Amino acid sequence: MLRKKSINRFEKLQYFSLVLPGLILFTIGLIVPMLLSFGYSLTDWNGLAPTFSYIGLENYRRFFSDTFATQAWNFTIKFTIWNTIIQNILALLFAVVLNSAIKGEEIYRTILFVPCLFSAIIVGFVWLRMFSNVLPALNSLLGTDINFLLFGSAKTVLTGLLIANNWQWIGYWMLIYLAALQSIPNELYESAAIDGTTTLQKFRHITLPLLAPALTICIVGITTGSLKMYELLVTSTGGGPGRASTSIVYHIYNTAISGRQYGYGSAVTVLFVFILLLVALLQLSVLRKREVQL
Amino acid sequence: MSKIAMPEKKLLRFKNKGANKKKTLNKTKRGIIQILMTLVAVLFATPILTIINYSFKTTRELYLSSPLALPQSPNFANYISAFRKLDLHVTFTNTFFYTFVSVAVLALLCGAAAWAIARNKSKIFQGFYIYFLLGIFIPYQSLFLSIYIVGFKTGLVNTRMGLILMYIATGMSFGVFLMTSFMSTVPLELEEAAKIDGCSVYRTYFCIVLPLLKPAIATLTILQAFQIWNDYLMASLFISSQKLRTITLAMQLLFSHQASDYTTAMAAIIISVLPVTILFVSLQKYFVQGMTAGALKS
Repeated sequence: MLRKKSINRFEKLQYFSLVLPGLILFTIGLIVPMLLSFGYSLTDWNGLAPTFSYIGLENYRRFFSDTFATQAWNFTIKFTIWNTIIQNILALLFAVVLNSAIKGEEIYRTILFVPCLFSAIIVGFVWLRMFSNVLPALNSLLGTDINFLLFGSAKTVLTGLLIANNWQWIGYWMLIYLAALQSIPNELYESAAIDGTTTLQKFRHITLPLLAPALTICIVGITTGSLKMYELLVTSTGGGPGRASTSIVYHIYNTAISGRQYGYGSAVTVLFVFILLLVALLQLSVLRKREVQL
Repeated sequence: MSKIAMPEKKLLRFKNKGANKKKTLNKTKRGIIQILMTLVAVLFATPILTIINYSFKTTRELYLSSPLALPQSPNFANYISAFRKLDLHVTFTNTFFYTFVSVAVLALLCGAAAWAIARNKSKIFQGFYIYFLLGIFIPYQSLFLSIYIVGFKTGLVNTRMGLILMYIATGMSFGVFLMTSFMSTVPLELEEAAKIDGCSVYRTYFCIVLPLLKPAIATLTILQAFQIWNDYLMASLFISSQKLRTITLAMQLLFSHQASDYTTAMAAIIISVLPVTILFVSLQKYFVQGMTAGALKS
């Protein structure tokens, strides 16, 4: 008995050692930084100096009176909300279309998907060129006067970035919806057809409830993906014009690395992580509840 | 007889007509949908076609002819200069090395952690699982500042090892999540047989579990590989030396240096995107499986 117990313990230890390397790396790479952020957020460290002093919640107080930070939040939230709506609707729409008896499904799927294989660095640059060099040529061709210089003004920069981001990601989420659609058994539709339901009813009562898990994953995925947006900006707008397209990550980069305000940047980081977690958990609990209801 | 047969025939004809009508309606509807979808596909393909078109233009054509015009003859000079300016033999090797090592280690560690978690129902191991899952909702982009500090303090900045370790650290959450959701398909009987034969936990993992994890490893590999291949922020934080640069870093530099004469940049884009695109098209099946396995099983 005793011996068996010690063998068991030995085995447990072996299992534990299998988790350990990943656990350590994960802790160093993500959890320690999170705790460090909190620590530095209470100081006035500039990132270089060997010494710094503890200033309490001063950085947080500053955050709430910082107009640049508010601006960055405004932009990030607007971008996220629009992205979540547009990307979900279009991805689902295209998935439904591709799932219907359409010819050449595979070609459409590949064309729509390929952009998400590009680095956001590339996507930003390509759309910068599209808006400023390529598309304006359409005006002289068609004799129209459409303003394609979307990255040029603070009013249109959000639209331009939404186009670029949606171009990149719609195909990705579409593929998830498509797989979910294809996993719905055909018999359900057949029996519904016998009962004489309309296409819309079928969509409402069969497709949508069975899509709920995919819907959850797409909504949460697009939201967190949009909130952390940074790389797209590096090669397209650079946060401009002015500060019109500065996202929250871009703002942290500006203040902390270029502006040498590590303490303050850390405070923004802590608030940002807090909001990320809050939004994800809120969405998950609401969507999960809906999944059950449907 | 004919009197009785008539209505039936009529009915039949009517029925046929109805069916035909429905079919033609469906046909026009389907035709419209097909046309609309083709339009969407053309819109989506336009930027890609533009990149290809520009990559073959000469500088003269860039300035003098319409942006929409095709080059007079395909000109490969841009590709040659892109190869040189991207420092491709260095950056490609680096990017490939970082991606390959990170993904291989990630698969090994995530598989081990997920298996141990799945086989131990005790509170500690379930606690580990929740601990790992925390990371799924915290993208590393939000913590880049302190990740850099950690890298700096441990002397990992500007080393290959540092960048790879950070890729592994930030990929653990999703990997453990994906692998654990896959674990239910790994049969217990084989493991138990191995245990009776006196196999240690490690041997069981490497000889029995790991081979069974192949599909999950394939999907994890593909998903993470293309994320690491395309990553910019982490590389830009950790790498400053020319020798250690990745393609995306070289790319960003090229974009800012060649802002006006961007035909070379367009050729560079094609060069950097080609490997992942080929990988995707040939491994499409696993890719879709991976995306949905992680997504739908949760």
